[in-house]
Amino acid sequence: MSQPSPVRRLSLDTVSLDTWAVLLAFAAVLLVRFGVLKNIPW
Amino acid sequence: MASSAVRTSAPGAPTETKAPVSTAGLIPGILLLAVVGYAGKFIEHFIAAYGKAHHLVLPNIEYVLWAILIGLAISNTIGVPGIFRSGVATYEFWLKAGIVLLGARFLLGDVRRLGGVSLILIAIELVLALTFMTYLGRAFKLKPKLVTLLAVGSSICGVSAIIAAQGAIDADEEDSSYAIAAILLLGTISLFLFPLVGHVLHLSDHAYGLWAGLAVDNTAEATAAGALYSDAAGKIAVLAKTCRNATIGFVVLGYAIYWASKGQAEQVKNKGAFLWRKFPKFVLGFLLVSLLATVGFFTKPQLVAVGNLSRWAFLLTFAGVGLRTNLRELSKQGARPFIVGAVGEIVIAVITLGLVFGADHLFHL
Repeated sequence: MSQPSPVRRLSLDTVSLDTWAVLLAFAAVLLVRFGVLKNIPW
Repeated sequence: MASSAVRTSAPGAPTETKAPVSTAGLIPGILLLAVVGYAGKFIEHFIAAYGKAHHLVLPNIEYVLWAILIGLAISNTIGVPGIFRSGVATYEFWLKAGIVLLGARFLLGDVRRLGGVSLILIAIELVLALTFMTYLGRAFKLKPKLVTLLAVGSSICGVSAIIAAQGAIDADEEDSSYAIAAILLLGTISLFLFPLVGHVLHLSDHAYGLWAGLAVDNTAEATAAGALYSDAAGKIAVLAKTCRNATIGFVVLGYAIYWASKGQAEQVKNKGAFLWRKFPKFVLGFLLVSLLATVGFFTKPQLVAVGNLSRWAFLLTFAGVGLRTNLRELSKQGARPFIVGAVGEIVIAVITLGLVFGADHLFHL
């Protein structure tokens, strides 16, 4: 009889909205820094 | 966001957690945010161009107000169809991403200087707001946990603080629904009143931004109230509000310990882990981007590009502020929490205005 593992696995659903927002913002920052995104108009 | 349970902050059912939504399911609502936000921007430019072409002096109304008004008009007339709702609920996500990106427009020295003054004012605001709202709630014989939620919501950061506190003090869903409705309705009213008061009193961008960041409770509304006055005021409002948000874990921990000591909430076993869980991570992201900007990680054009990305993220947020506000649903939540919230907010707004005048006089903001 195997018991379910008590170890919590990190899945996409366990990452908070806050953390996703920070990750997306940093991805954008890096894209700008390394020249992939240029001249963002406003 | 491969798949996420979307928590609606739609008034009327603010604590409802919907079934998991796929990323594709978010797209229609995000597109609606973009269309409404861009329509606001288009109207602002159209009015400016029309005035210029016809040699007319027309008031410059920022896109922020147009986006909110269009959103309010849709949400309170035809309503937001179900297919758009989960995507519209992402406006808080864009707000947080926008705040992180806004870090590029602040050097760390500015953050430290402004943040230092803001922190002193926030400490005063926090103690005043918590004490006054608690007193007022008791005077109106509201339920004790509803009083706690209203006090937390009005002293720190509106909806996020109420949701964080609800779980920590085992409050009823109904209580948090009342508190959120009161905070959101008052936030919507402040969007229109704050810029008017600011203009009547001829407040500087700096003083107004600090006031909006201190006195408007929900982060989205505080950001919008600042941006409605000017771009510079919007920046300061976000900074002051971010400092306020940073205190969320400590205040919620205090209340969790208080209610646990009364045997009406679970004991907090690991206080460090509790603080980290409740701490808004976007505050750290904002500081890190600001640090990168300070140490010269970006060229000048890159700083402009990151700043503009933050503006686009805020454009989606402002559209969402209007689209998620259903005034009819808000008014169904009962008068007493709203009256307590309104009286408390007016007193806090007047006191914080006095604090900002005082700080401006002392520190020449």
